[in-house]
Amino acid sequence: MPVWLREYSWRQTGSAVYLSLPLRGLRVTPANIFCTDQYLKVSIPPFLFEAILYAPIDDTNSTAKIGNGIIFFTLYKKEVAMWESLTLANANKEKLQSLRENAVLKAHEKAKEETEAKKVTKQEHKKYALEATMKLEEAERKRIEDLKEKERQKVTKELELWRKQQKDAEKQKRIQKEGELHEKVEQLKENKKEKINKTSIPDEGTSKTRLKATKGHGSYGMFSENLKEEQLPAPRSAATIKINFTSRVFPTALRESRIAEEEEWLRKQAEARRTISADLSELEDLKEDEKNPDWLKDKGNKMFATGNYLAAVNAYNLAVRLNNKLPLLYLNRAACHLKLRNLHKAIEDSSKALELLTPLVPDNENARVKAYVRRGTAFCQLELYTEGLQDYEAALKIDPKNRTIEKDAEKIRHLIQGTTQDS
Amino acid sequence: SGLERPQVVSHAQQALSYTLFDCKWVPRSARLLCLGSAPRGTGLLQLYELRGGRLALLREIEKAKPIKCGTFGATSLQQRYLATGDFGGNLHIWNLEAPEIPVYSVKGHKEIINSIDGVGGLGIGEGAPEIVTGSRDGTVKVWDPRQKDTPVANMEPVQGESKRDCWTVAFGNAYNQEERVVCAGYDNGDIKLFDLKTMSLRWETNIKNGVCSVEFDRKDVNMNKLVATSLEGKFHVFDMRTQHPTKGFASVSEKAQKSTIWQVRHLPQNRDIFMTSGGAGSLHLWKYEYPTQRSKKDSEGAEMGVAGSVSLLQNVTLSTQPISSLDWSPDKKGLCVCGAFDQTVRVLIVTKLNKV
Repeated sequence: MPVWLREYSWRQTGSAVYLSLPLRGLRVTPANIFCTDQYLKVSIPPFLFEAILYAPIDDTNSTAKIGNGIIFFTLYKKEVAMWESLTLANANKEKLQSLRENAVLKAHEKAKEETEAKKVTKQEHKKYALEATMKLEEAERKRIEDLKEKERQKVTKELELWRKQQKDAEKQKRIQKEGELHEKVEQLKENKKEKINKTSIPDEGTSKTRLKATKGHGSYGMFSENLKEEQLPAPRSAATIKINFTSRVFPTALRESRIAEEEEWLRKQAEARRTISADLSELEDLKEDEKNPDWLKDKGNKMFATGNYLAAVNAYNLAVRLNNKLPLLYLNRAACHLKLRNLHKAIEDSSKALELLTPLVPDNENARVKAYVRRGTAFCQLELYTEGLQDYEAALKIDPKNRTIEKDAEKIRHLIQGTTQDS
Repeated sequence: SGLERPQVVSHAQQALSYTLFDCKWVPRSARLLCLGSAPRGTGLLQLYELRGGRLALLREIEKAKPIKCGTFGATSLQQRYLATGDFGGNLHIWNLEAPEIPVYSVKGHKEIINSIDGVGGLGIGEGAPEIVTGSRDGTVKVWDPRQKDTPVANMEPVQGESKRDCWTVAFGNAYNQEERVVCAGYDNGDIKLFDLKTMSLRWETNIKNGVCSVEFDRKDVNMNKLVATSLEGKFHVFDMRTQHPTKGFASVSEKAQKSTIWQVRHLPQNRDIFMTSGGAGSLHLWKYEYPTQRSKKDSEGAEMGVAGSVSLLQNVTLSTQPISSLDWSPDKKGLCVCGAFDQTVRVLIVTKLNKV
């Protein structure tokens, strides 16, 4: 139940009502005051003051002054008249309720309208600003365009002038040429046998044309057998200069290189060299050298060369345990297995090597050829000739100029045809 | 106040019905030549005259093979014969007044002649008139119009070496009767400098990207500067006055744009200003500034060059297609013609070059 505030005092003039409402000790903010055109409420819980005004007021212009424990309302009447009392006398509960609701609704609508109006003005302001900037920029652009136009015209005029000059000069020259030709013909008739070395007046490249006579320089055709050749040096004696072109890691120019693939291959190689497999526990008692896959590979190669194939295989096995990403280890182990006639192992190793030799770049061509050839040989020794032929043909595709591979492939083909005829 | 920097003003343009490969001013005139390839696979030469703000077609000459490049560099001012290289590897020299039969003709190369240059003519430089051609067959050959069929110099790959396309050639250092050099750029980024007096390779380097265009700032003086442009928007300016025994020539390089720089051409009237044309249809005007000291001694006491700096004066985009050819008029400062792959030839005027 709110505590009603009933102590208030008011006085009026024809156009306004002055109402003062004491609020001892209460803090009032504008939020506590609610006013529409016929309803006034001050609510500071638990205190409440409410008044249904006698006649409508202009609530937008009316004011409320808060201070000194009192609110002082200045309400401007809509109609100039004297009110009998501040509030309407007979107001029952329902009427009050409906009035209150109306008041609230009205206030809402008003608030809405105000925001709408605000938005609209804001838009207009923005538009105006935009237009103003656009105009400024247009003006700037136009100014530059005008300057450019002026330049153009000036320059065009100059050009026309220059061109006329050229034309006139040309005409002059032509007339002069004809005159000279005449003269020359006569001269030649006179000086047929004598070779007179006339000096020519060098023609310098200035923009003004020269109207000076150019006697003796009358060249009417490059091959005219005249005195010109004695003024110029003879054609130089023919010679050839041999050149080399810059080489690159990959023999393609930057613009042709399949750089992505080549980079990938290089990266893979680098990574492969860096991987060391995890189980080093058993290998702790090995010497430092023996932990290096490259060193082991070299050892293996040496032993292969001397014919000690088992030892070579051991070396490669250890190397593979240390680093299973180096394709060359598998490749070389395959060769050992071939020699030891472990054909299945040879095939396995060649296949593993081929797997590791991707992406296909010119750099690993050699390795791939070898892998195919070794696998092919193993297949053939197992009498799986078709598979062997497939591998040989793959090798040939990479290296078509290799005679040995070609010959071997031919041999296999004959073998296949031979066996099919037999069966 | 007006605009301060040099402006590139478009004066006239002409739409063509064929692919334009090269355009050149006819010396001592307001006429220009367009060289290219007609749709039916023949070569086309068109002679235009600048009249008012338009180009008027004076002559059209059709030849058997498409024409890739041309130069007036080796003829006298009176004759003004045009030397052309075509797609079949033939070098021809034409008299434009009577173009039915060439004045000189040789099947110089096995493949297309990509680039041609001439020296000793037009009153510029001294010595014999010579023409150099660079071709896709990897050779660079120097011809003298007075000697039929065989070149006077031949720069070819060693036996067994895989060949690289030669994309551009330029003459330089022709300051007296004997001296002459040829600079050639290849598609793998090689730049080679051949000395024709000693018939040897004087210098070579590699700039990693294919070399589209090389030019000396002046053909007829002691080698001063060489500009080489390449793919991927880079160009290098070499200071050619001081050659270090191992490091060669000093250079400064600039990356102007993302696309290929097709051509570089120095202004005939000022050798420190040059224009580059790009694959995105743009033209850039540059000025080179010399360093305070052009050479200095290195730790062993050998002289080495010091490169200066390059600044951009102006740039403009004219087309969406590459501008493949560019030529300054030797007679009117600032007048230039450029041809682009959008089948348009444009005449431009660059203003305020006096004040640069």
